[in-house]
Amino acid sequence: MKLTLHIWRQPNTEADGEFKTYELPDVSEHMSFLEMLDVLNEKLISEGQEPVAFDHDCREGICGTCSLMINGQAHGPDRETTACQLHMRRFKDGDEIWIEPWRAKAFPVIKDLVVNRSAFDRIMQAGGYVSVNTGNAPDANSTIVPKQNADLAFDAATCIGCGACVAACKNASAMLFLSAKVSQLALLPQGQPERKSRAINMLKQMDEEGFGNCTNTNECEAACPAGISVENIARLNRQYVSAVLTSRD
Amino acid sequence: MSWVTNAIKSSIGRKFLVACTGLLLCGFLVAHLIGNLLMYIGPEVYNNYAHTLHSQEYLIKIAEVGLLVLFIAHLWLAIEASGRNRAARQTRYAVKKSKLPNRKIPFAITPENYMLVSGIIVLIFLCIHLGDFTFNLTMPEKIEGLEPYDKAIVIMRSPISAIAYVIGSLLLMWHLWHGATSMFQTLGLRHPKYDGLTQNFGPVFATIIGLGFATFPIYAWLVPYNPPAPNPDAPEAHGEPDSHSMNTIPAWQPASDRNELPG
Repeated sequence: MKLTLHIWRQPNTEADGEFKTYELPDVSEHMSFLEMLDVLNEKLISEGQEPVAFDHDCREGICGTCSLMINGQAHGPDRETTACQLHMRRFKDGDEIWIEPWRAKAFPVIKDLVVNRSAFDRIMQAGGYVSVNTGNAPDANSTIVPKQNADLAFDAATCIGCGACVAACKNASAMLFLSAKVSQLALLPQGQPERKSRAINMLKQMDEEGFGNCTNTNECEAACPAGISVENIARLNRQYVSAVLTSRD
Repeated sequence: MSWVTNAIKSSIGRKFLVACTGLLLCGFLVAHLIGNLLMYIGPEVYNNYAHTLHSQEYLIKIAEVGLLVLFIAHLWLAIEASGRNRAARQTRYAVKKSKLPNRKIPFAITPENYMLVSGIIVLIFLCIHLGDFTFNLTMPEKIEGLEPYDKAIVIMRSPISAIAYVIGSLLLMWHLWHGATSMFQTLGLRHPKYDGLTQNFGPVFATIIGLGFATFPIYAWLVPYNPPAPNPDAPEAHGEPDSHSMNTIPAWQPASDRNELPG
């Protein structure tokens, strides 16, 4: 199929970016979206032009590295699918595709479609862990965890930290990411000792990074490739308010 | 008390207070609507209610100050949050589409995307409303000395007021459509058992409140009504009732009855 690509090109963080248009005359419907970009880059290199910078790693939909806004939708049109798992059969001959980086003050563009997501790392460093070494795997049932809690914690832990929630949110809020990281530990016994300081410190870091507020539009949940539920945001709100009211710190 | 200021400055703390003040303002709207609905029972019932309410001098003052604080806090916190939200995305997308199943238009004209706009318009409407009924600024010569029922009907029979009151009520409905559901999520009140209830609460509550208030200007135009002659000797409509006003034949009675008044 023949495609027209409008791709955001920006040499570095400080420089102004702009859309450049490229024609790809022979795209196979079996290619993944990233493979299509690989083909474009080979063409650009052979023509002596700068290839398009874009993030990718596992290309299996599990690492959360790919981060493309495709035709205005985070990771493209499919629900619960990362950009690397999006295939060109989803498009048709003659389509125009607009490809942009995640846009948020807290995610500055490094180059072209690559953004700096280390704000997420700093949020995790503020409390997204259990400090005590849990040692070897304990005997089964020595620590009782209700099945429903285990399932909810696992669902929250499937967050791959790609930043699609921030990209899709009209306020560039990281509440879905933060709520998943707080919930995965708040629902389990190992997370209890640091429950209060975790909620307070991680939220403080999120605010300092310049992410927006949550206005409950649910766009983040719809855009999340891991299917994280906004129910986690309600849990985060409860965790934070109870921590603020009862913490001795 | 630094923990209090830190909490209020935090994004969740601020939103939590917006939800709390919104919830209390919803309580006020319910009480106000129930009070106004007494108009439909009859002028006497409504006037008695209004006089009894305004005779509680201290309670009214406390309620007025409380409502003012709630309005200011709700609006101020929302404006601050909105400013932060705008700052969080400095470059806009060239193309933006929703992935929500039932929404194909980017940032469609839905209540949740225009909360600040609808809130500010409701505030303007509120100022008009207070100017009409509390401070008697709009048509002082026409409503001077009228009983509360007559005053309400006279004000809302003005075409501009009627349109303003219908539009104001509908925008309040628009604002509550999202707000009265969203507050549950912000307050952390979420559970699969009650999701259906909370999701539908906003639209149902908004419809009852918005359409409820919108009926009054329509009623004012539909009800057969002879405007009473202003009585400069009667007390202010919102003033404390005195023995004189109780002995006066109410202004909503037909003009023929008023002519038969002794003296």
